[in-house]
Amino acid sequence: MKLEVAGLTKRYDGHAALDGLDLSVADARVLALIGPSGGGKSTFLRVLGGLETPDEGRVSLHGETLPATAAGLLAHRRRNGFLFQQFNLFPHLDALRNLTLPLETVHGLSPADARQTAEAVLGRFGLLAHARKRPAQLSGGQQQRVGLARAVAAKPRVLFLDEPTSALDPEMTAEVLELIQELAAAGQTIVLSTHEMGFARAVADHVAFLAAGRIEESGPPADLFGNPRSPACQRFLSRILKWS
Amino acid sequence: MTGSFRCRNLVAGALVLAAFGALCVLIFSRLSGHWEWSKPWAYRELLFRGWWTTILLSLGAFFGSALVGLLLLLGQRSGLPALKWSCRLFLEFVRDTPLLVQLLVGYFVIFAPLLSRTLGGWGWDDKLLIGILLLSLFEGAYLGEILRGGIDSIPRAQWDSARAVGFNRRQLYRHVIFPQAIRRVLPAVAGQFVSLIKDSSLLSVIGVQEFAYQAKVYTAKTYGGLEAYVPLALGYLLLTAPVAFLSHRLERRFRDET
Repeated sequence: MKLEVAGLTKRYDGHAALDGLDLSVADARVLALIGPSGGGKSTFLRVLGGLETPDEGRVSLHGETLPATAAGLLAHRRRNGFLFQQFNLFPHLDALRNLTLPLETVHGLSPADARQTAEAVLGRFGLLAHARKRPAQLSGGQQQRVGLARAVAAKPRVLFLDEPTSALDPEMTAEVLELIQELAAAGQTIVLSTHEMGFARAVADHVAFLAAGRIEESGPPADLFGNPRSPACQRFLSRILKWS
Repeated sequence: MTGSFRCRNLVAGALVLAAFGALCVLIFSRLSGHWEWSKPWAYRELLFRGWWTTILLSLGAFFGSALVGLLLLLGQRSGLPALKWSCRLFLEFVRDTPLLVQLLVGYFVIFAPLLSRTLGGWGWDDKLLIGILLLSLFEGAYLGEILRGGIDSIPRAQWDSARAVGFNRRQLYRHVIFPQAIRRVLPAVAGQFVSLIKDSSLLSVIGVQEFAYQAKVYTAKTYGGLEAYVPLALGYLLLTAPVAFLSHRLERRFRDET
């Protein structure tokens, strides 16, 4: 994945969540965004995923400029996948229907094909036994895995994950991270924000440190974690890695 | 503990029953001699016709108010400020003036001069139809607010998720927001229907020959017999109680589901 971002700005009521963000990634399969909470990771991901339109700046993904029209953004969202921290699933539908509904209505699959595709993904993720359960009957980790299954069922070009494990306990975190790692190993392009430094270091091939709406530093994980140059990144890493 | 609790509850129940009984005895002793149940029985057809009209009226206004409520909901969510504020203004007006005044003004000032002759010419009951229209506008305003509350109560994450899976605006409402919102507002909608049935009794002031109207006709015809008011109360209870019961059940089911 090639990603070029220049001067990206997004304001909410005068507060700049993104403040002239620049980033250039020549080629990465897994891009990890790290940094303090409120630093702009979620907003950046939402812009990349086509859920939010920036006030200023330019984003080009895979060499194509991100669309600005409503129709263009809808098409962009349909091409890619997105997973939030929690409450991704539609609570009134069972796990299987959560997958088949977008496949049928958005991607135009026949009900039979949608069901086959959905069951294949759920099976691959070890979730087939839960296909007929409603989200409320699933654990947090299972819900996120079903959410991941739904996001990848339509074969997204890029999978955007916004702190996918932040609402989970350590055991569930591990089960979700393992699945993300499997997806990455299978060749899925992923952009994720995370507080799991060990995971970012092991799985990402490019890491960007975001603070106060800008990229302070970015590079291969070995460089960024092994030898952070910016003081903000050094401080952040020394604090966050102190107890791990 | 349970023993003394049950004992106290029994005493309280007995006291309430005794007080109620004493009140009934007092009232009936004062009125004794005036009760003639053969009279309402003789006029049973008249009263039943009124009761039946109330059912028709309520059903008509139920669908009418659903339509008005839906239009107000859509209008309020419209991107056009002119539409949005017109709907809000209408809502405030309806909710802040008495139904009785709306019926009098709406019938005698607005709709009767406008529609009565035409409707009458078609051989339709103009009072009934205008009554349904006015009641629909009134109850629809409340229904619109209930629906709006239901939609607003769907958490941000659901809107985001629905957009993220690629639903367009129509699909988002149809597959994600409405199914969840309707579950949440059903008890309130059923409660509103109970109000509607009760409020329909006010239509007697514009001459709709519904249940309360016929009860008054009965009283006039029989020179002040008060017997009709008992079947009147029971007749309304017969309509509202099942709906209220349904509303409570829906409420409980929704609570269990979440």
